[in-house]
Amino acid sequence: MNIARFLSSAVTVAEMEARKIRHDTTELWIRIVQPALWLIVFGVTFNSIKAMPTGSFSYIQFITPGILAQSVLFIAIFYGITVVWERDVGIITKLLSTPSPRASIVLGKSLSASLRGMFQAVMIFALALALGVKIRLDIPDILGVFAVVILFAMCFSSLSMLLASFMKTRDRMMGIGQALTMPLFFASNAIYPISVMPVWLQYVSKVNPLSYVVDAMRSMLLSGSYENLPIDILALLVATVTFVALASITIKRLLE
Amino acid sequence: MDSSNFENTKAIETKNLTKIYHGGIRAVDDVTFLVQPGEIFGLLGPNGAGKTTMIKMIVTLARPTTGNLRVFGIDASKSPETVRNMLGYVPQSISVDTDLTGYENLLIFSKLSYVDKKQRNGRIKDALEYMGLTDRAKDLVKHYSGGMMRRLEIAQALVNRPRILLLDEPSIGLDPASKMHVWESIKQLKEKFGTTILITTHDMSEADELCDRIAIMSDGKIAALGSPIELKKSVGGDVVTVNLTVAYPSITFPKEIGTIMHSNEKSIQILAENGEIAIPLVSNFFRDQKIAIDSISINKPNLDDVFMKYAKRRLHEEISPHATSARRDFVRHTR
Ligand SMILES: Nc1ncnc2c1ncn2[C@@H]1O[C@H](COP(=O)(O)OP(=O)(O)OP(=O)(O)O)[C@@H](O)[C@H]1O
Ligand SMILES: [Mg+2]
Repeated sequence: MNIARFLSSAVTVAEMEARKIRHDTTELWIRIVQPALWLIVFGVTFNSIKAMPTGSFSYIQFITPGILAQSVLFIAIFYGITVVWERDVGIITKLLSTPSPRASIVLGKSLSASLRGMFQAVMIFALALALGVKIRLDIPDILGVFAVVILFAMCFSSLSMLLASFMKTRDRMMGIGQALTMPLFFASNAIYPISVMPVWLQYVSKVNPLSYVVDAMRSMLLSGSYENLPIDILALLVATVTFVALASITIKRLLE
Repeated sequence: MDSSNFENTKAIETKNLTKIYHGGIRAVDDVTFLVQPGEIFGLLGPNGAGKTTMIKMIVTLARPTTGNLRVFGIDASKSPETVRNMLGYVPQSISVDTDLTGYENLLIFSKLSYVDKKQRNGRIKDALEYMGLTDRAKDLVKHYSGGMMRRLEIAQALVNRPRILLLDEPSIGLDPASKMHVWESIKQLKEKFGTTILITTHDMSEADELCDRIAIMSDGKIAALGSPIELKKSVGGDVVTVNLTVAYPSITFPKEIGTIMHSNEKSIQILAENGEIAIPLVSNFFRDQKIAIDSISINKPNLDDVFMKYAKRRLHEEISPHATSARRDFVRHTR
């Protein structure tokens, strides 16, 4: 297989998404409402009552990386719905009828989810700054956060596509998405520290990928201590490659 | 690409091709046929006959359950990407991206088809012009009319200059002028570039106009295959209808001229191999018998008759043999 062609196909599929977003940005702005509410209402309120043992950081500092991770998770987990919709209107058929390898199409679709994730990240950064949340703004840290956002969105959107190949309908994908996001979100360290959880939940949280992503983002945005970072990123990378590979094999089932 | 050493290869070659969907539907059932390079091959048949399934297998979007499928000698199950690289595909339902402009649709598609970067813009321009979309190229496709989307779809299948063009009902929803235009384009592709074309349609005049050869599918099988002329011959010859000025109850008619299919007192329908030759003979016969003729007309069988004969055969068999001939008469009368 020709690597240059493979990558150019993946980038082209992402370009397709970028062009669509450029024609109609409404969805992006709507998507920002939820994380904004979390930060402005939930974050600001809990910040002032100081109910959470968040160590040397204020509560709103604590949840900013958590909300960023959560909003990217939402985009990625529900990306399968977009793909099912594209199947319904024939776009997936069209893409898969080109000479581009299936895996490059799937990779391109996961990059498309990343694109949306990056926009979320930009908006949440802006929001945090507007609210006066103190986050580290070193260039390497910011780039690192974006890298994690990209990988994270790729990872979960390809998982979503993998599930969509079997679920096949938008309704089921909606159900699956909800069934996955809520437990992932609440059983993670996104909005409260692991230490306040009941013991059984602490165990769940330890195997929850979202916890690792939040952890990685906190280390870059808040603490600046990177010892866990390589493991976090490696785990994400492995999961992403696995899911993209699996989804490439199963995606054709969507057409059946 | 691989052109020179494949002079003798068939454009499309299927051997005992079968597709069974989940639930046991045999959409394509043990089909063997060839499409020659450079020909326009029509795939006709009633709804659910398996035409789209056949095309999807060629585009490698559906995997054959059993059997063999080669495109210019290349095994579709072994090298699907190489096969897709030779194809242009217009699906039955609209599948252009309505959230992009016409130009962007072609751009993305040509990139995914690895059209050489230097040729890309020229190809896109040509394809847009060819399908009469140049002045709407910058508009979002969601603002196109149905027929314009259809034309964009065809333009999209042309940007990679495919060796084989697969058209699944390309002219549904096109106005007569656009339809003519598409027909002309299809013929030009064949003549100018030697493109092989596989087309499905429910429009018999379209099939007759375009196709070098036609396969009629029914229940996943090929019920008849041949040139339009051969197929028309196979449903029987021409029908000569003689109208008499006065009723003439019983006529015995020489077999050499033709056989009487149907007659009432003043009108006789004769089935003859060649209508033009039969007319003078028929007229002489009646003159010799001193029977005055009011008018004579010929009806040549068309593809509708062919379609009715082969595609609906099962339906006929289930009714009764008499119904078959009655139906045939009905078809001829109402033409
Ligand atoms: N994805 C699918 N799953 C199950 N059965 C299918 C699927 N696609 C088609 N079929 C069945 O296979 C048979 C052939 O369908 P196909 O779409 O190939 O017919 P067609 O000849 O293209 O018909 P039309 O003229 O209506 O387009 C039908 O009985 C149809 O119900
Ligand atoms: Mg069809």
